[in-house]
Amino acid sequence: MGEREPAWSRRDFLKTTGLAAAGLAAGPIIAACGGSPASSPTAAPAGAIPKPRPGAQIRLLQWVSFVPAADDEIRRQAKEFSDANNVQVTIETVTGDQLQPKTAAAVEAGSGPDIIQMQYGWPHLYDTACMDVTDMVDMLKGKLGTVNQVNDAFCKVNGKYLAVPYCQVPNAWSYRTDLWQQGGLSGFFTTWDELAASGKQLKSKGLPPIAVSLGHAYGDAITMWYPVLWDFGGREVSSDGKHVTINSKETTDALNWAIDTWKSGAISQNTLSWLDPDNNQAYHSGLITATLNGASIYIKETYTTATNHKFAAVTDNAAQPKGRQGASTLNLIFNHAIMKWSNEAETAKAFILYLMDSTNYQKWLNASVGYNAGPFKALSNADVFQKDTKLKPFLDVVGAGRWPGWPAQPSKATAQSQVQFVIVDMFAKAVTSGDAKGAIADAEQKLKRIYELPG
Amino acid sequence: MATTTRRAALGRLAGPRVRLFQREARLGYLLLAPALLLLLVFVAYPFLFGIWLSVTNSQIGVNGHFIGLGNFDFERGDTVFIQSFVNTISYTAITTVFKLFLGMVMALLLNQVFPAQRFFRAALLLPWIIPSVLSTLAWRWMFDPTFSVVNWVVIHGHLSATGVDWLGKTTTALTSLMIVNVWRGTPFYGIAFLAGLQTIPQDLYEAARVDGASRWQQFRSITVPMLRPVLLVVLLLSTILTFGDFTLPYVLTNGAPFNSTHVLSTWAFAIGVGGGYISIGAAISLVLFPLLSAIVFGVMVVLRRPE
Amino acid sequence: MAATRAARPVRFGPPRRQVGERFRGRLFRVYIPVAVFTFITLFPFYWMAITSIKSNSELLDHTKNPLFVLQPNLQNYADLFTKTNFIRWTINSAVVALASTSVSLVCSILAGYSLARLRYRGANAIGWGVFVTYLVPPTLLFLPMAFVIAQLHLFNNYLSLILTYPTFLIPFCTWLLMGYFRGIPRELEEAALVDGASRVQAMLRVVIPLALPGILSAGMFAFTLSWGEFLYALVFMNDTVVKTVPVGVVNELIKGDEFFWGELMAAALLGSVPVAILYSFFVDYFVAGMTAGAVKG
Repeated sequence: MGEREPAWSRRDFLKTTGLAAAGLAAGPIIAACGGSPASSPTAAPAGAIPKPRPGAQIRLLQWVSFVPAADDEIRRQAKEFSDANNVQVTIETVTGDQLQPKTAAAVEAGSGPDIIQMQYGWPHLYDTACMDVTDMVDMLKGKLGTVNQVNDAFCKVNGKYLAVPYCQVPNAWSYRTDLWQQGGLSGFFTTWDELAASGKQLKSKGLPPIAVSLGHAYGDAITMWYPVLWDFGGREVSSDGKHVTINSKETTDALNWAIDTWKSGAISQNTLSWLDPDNNQAYHSGLITATLNGASIYIKETYTTATNHKFAAVTDNAAQPKGRQGASTLNLIFNHAIMKWSNEAETAKAFILYLMDSTNYQKWLNASVGYNAGPFKALSNADVFQKDTKLKPFLDVVGAGRWPGWPAQPSKATAQSQVQFVIVDMFAKAVTSGDAKGAIADAEQKLKRIYELPG
Repeated sequence: MATTTRRAALGRLAGPRVRLFQREARLGYLLLAPALLLLLVFVAYPFLFGIWLSVTNSQIGVNGHFIGLGNFDFERGDTVFIQSFVNTISYTAITTVFKLFLGMVMALLLNQVFPAQRFFRAALLLPWIIPSVLSTLAWRWMFDPTFSVVNWVVIHGHLSATGVDWLGKTTTALTSLMIVNVWRGTPFYGIAFLAGLQTIPQDLYEAARVDGASRWQQFRSITVPMLRPVLLVVLLLSTILTFGDFTLPYVLTNGAPFNSTHVLSTWAFAIGVGGGYISIGAAISLVLFPLLSAIVFGVMVVLRRPE
Repeated sequence: MAATRAARPVRFGPPRRQVGERFRGRLFRVYIPVAVFTFITLFPFYWMAITSIKSNSELLDHTKNPLFVLQPNLQNYADLFTKTNFIRWTINSAVVALASTSVSLVCSILAGYSLARLRYRGANAIGWGVFVTYLVPPTLLFLPMAFVIAQLHLFNNYLSLILTYPTFLIPFCTWLLMGYFRGIPRELEEAALVDGASRVQAMLRVVIPLALPGILSAGMFAFTLSWGEFLYALVFMNDTVVKTVPVGVVNELIKGDEFFWGELMAAALLGSVPVAILYSFFVDYFVAGMTAGAVKG
């Protein structure tokens, strides 16, 4: 257990402080140092299909989906699986912000749900707690085709798969076609420069603005500003993940574009505290013309029976624009990790395979009405995308997806940089102060600290 | 009277110094046992573990090794850390001053006789009663960037043309935090002071009035000194809790805009839990400890001065 | 003296002002300030109430005056009860709050008596040690605490909260009760001892009944804090049926991209009602209980 027994282990510390005498500490520490993997059942030989153990009880922790029907569908599938195999599967849902503290606490405590939905690069963060599921993923690749590059990057840690790719929440632009017409704009923008031009035109006609979050929005801020940086050629760190390369002409270009767009009012100046729900709220009240988001805005306008049907007919979606030096997107990525402490690993594996079964998965995709997209080639399309052509942009953005910290591989450091919203804050600082150089210097200092830790 | 109060203020937790009574000691410790057991297991041990974390380079799920004070040194160079530090101090200091003042006013008011007194006493306690998470969410809704009712009032009251970006600018965001904290915390001060006021015998005021003392003089020479013990405890408790306050800043701003409204507890949380560097998170949390002890000591020295 | 005070809280009334005071004087010095205070304190609650009876379309309509409701309806409340586990969460909160309050009170009464009444070496230091636990920041504690809870196999169990909440309740309650105990004259206890009762019996039969207002105060304080606690409840309680109100509300009424403000505000109001009712009955006792603690410092 390499990573669990360093020179100065917990056991040593406690002995030294005499707390072992309390009796309580000794037991748990010895158990922890012994390593929880010892208690989990031996994995089935590679290639064997995991079978659920009758009488087992497992828990899956995931975020609350925006589309309640999707969660209902997963729960239905869980029940189906439970009944068919005489086991009990519980699905537990929390908000995105809370998923992380709970996961962190579970990993630190060495105990918790059997399956955790890992968002972004968490498998890298929590690599010591995730089970090696390479054989499972290989099996799925055999059935379902290649894995999307972002899911792959997030799930693969040091050559081993520590999580099973699950889905993406694609982010694309939703906009008001009526306002677009009123603004005299012919087509939706396809480059960042066109975005600036469109925004300025909307402003000159006194129409509501384009708006994207510059705050600490868990999804919306990252999905916007990372692609902007990349498309102008800016890079946070070198491909080997060792050198901070944010300070470059390309980054300055990106920031200058942002500053200019902001100053001219082409994008709304009110978004510095926007969290994920804020752009949805603003759109549904007619206060903004276009925004980058998951499919939730469109879904709410078109598919829910709530009272917000106002803009259903005039809402359309469009893919991410390109930049001078690239066309990238960033979407929310979810993968399932089976935790090392789970006593029912076989059942957990069997359940995940059940969810990833083509028929089941398609049902879930359709229930999500376009909010989710699949990570495997065979799962990358669903009926709902065919039926509703307006949802197509959400499929289009999946292919060009990248991850925070690209071009370096995901790692603890890239996760830290993302969680601290370094790139987003750099843009926020730049637009509010007008000083690109200062913002870059600040970001550089932060990134250097993240990529070059003490000890 | 003065001596008793002084002794009381001095020796809140100190017993009289007498020789050890064997039987009393055994019983004494026995009675303490349940409390001590709970506190040892669930506070002392995690606390020591936290200190241990702060001098290692552990990450979530990964045991690190000892690195001395490296984490603390590392943090000193971080602009966000410095800003959080400053924010924490100003957040606590400014809100405490306001809560003190408003709490005293509230207590003086509630001490009067007027109809439906009991209703008002309970009503004015509501901000403190409601779970902080929920009331902070309500305030977030009130400060919402798009739908703020406060802005609506401000705009329609012709106080400003565009309203205020309550949560989007550093200064206003910090102000919003303080507003919510004062709103939430004043009732506690108020009730404690009210309790204190009710113990002051009326004859003191009568005597002073007869002597020609003005209301203000009465307040200064009777009310304030008599409230010293309450003041001491309430100030201490409130300062400590505000320093470590997590829920309010986390729910209202969580550092936005661009990490400028973090307080030490939320920043420690972001780095430690969000980023996985729990050792650094622990180090940041621990910075509070000596700081707090210094402040607690300072408050006690100031308030324990004999009249 | 102190015992009398303790026994008749309601009677210990406010200072008597001059009888013939002019109304205008009172208006400016009392009524108007009280009104201002009440307005500022209660406006957020008014806002919560208004929001909770608005339908979604009215809520997000920025052209209308948000201070009034044109088409009030109780749909949000209905949804709260039928589509979420709100009732379950309220029960959970009540169970946890009552139990942790009881645990804290028992520990605090015993500890407070020990520290206030008995004389032995180390009492001073321990007293300070208990208080000093407040200085430990909760953000530092919760991860190591999660580890302890895991070792005790208490995740998802009410006990995880019932045992951890007292850590921030005991210090203050102990302090409060110490004040109360000191205010009770030794003679009463000594009389009981002379009559042949043991220390413990004296404590149970004489001191504690006299300290009931203080105990009530401490209990209300503890209940309030337990009811509103968030971080530990979030981390330790997992399944939706065991969540407490703050956690359940925040977890299930904020779904990724949407705040359900109407239901959130309804839940916020309902989530504070039980405790508010408690206070309205007992506020005088609460104040009186703090009184003795105040005097004895």
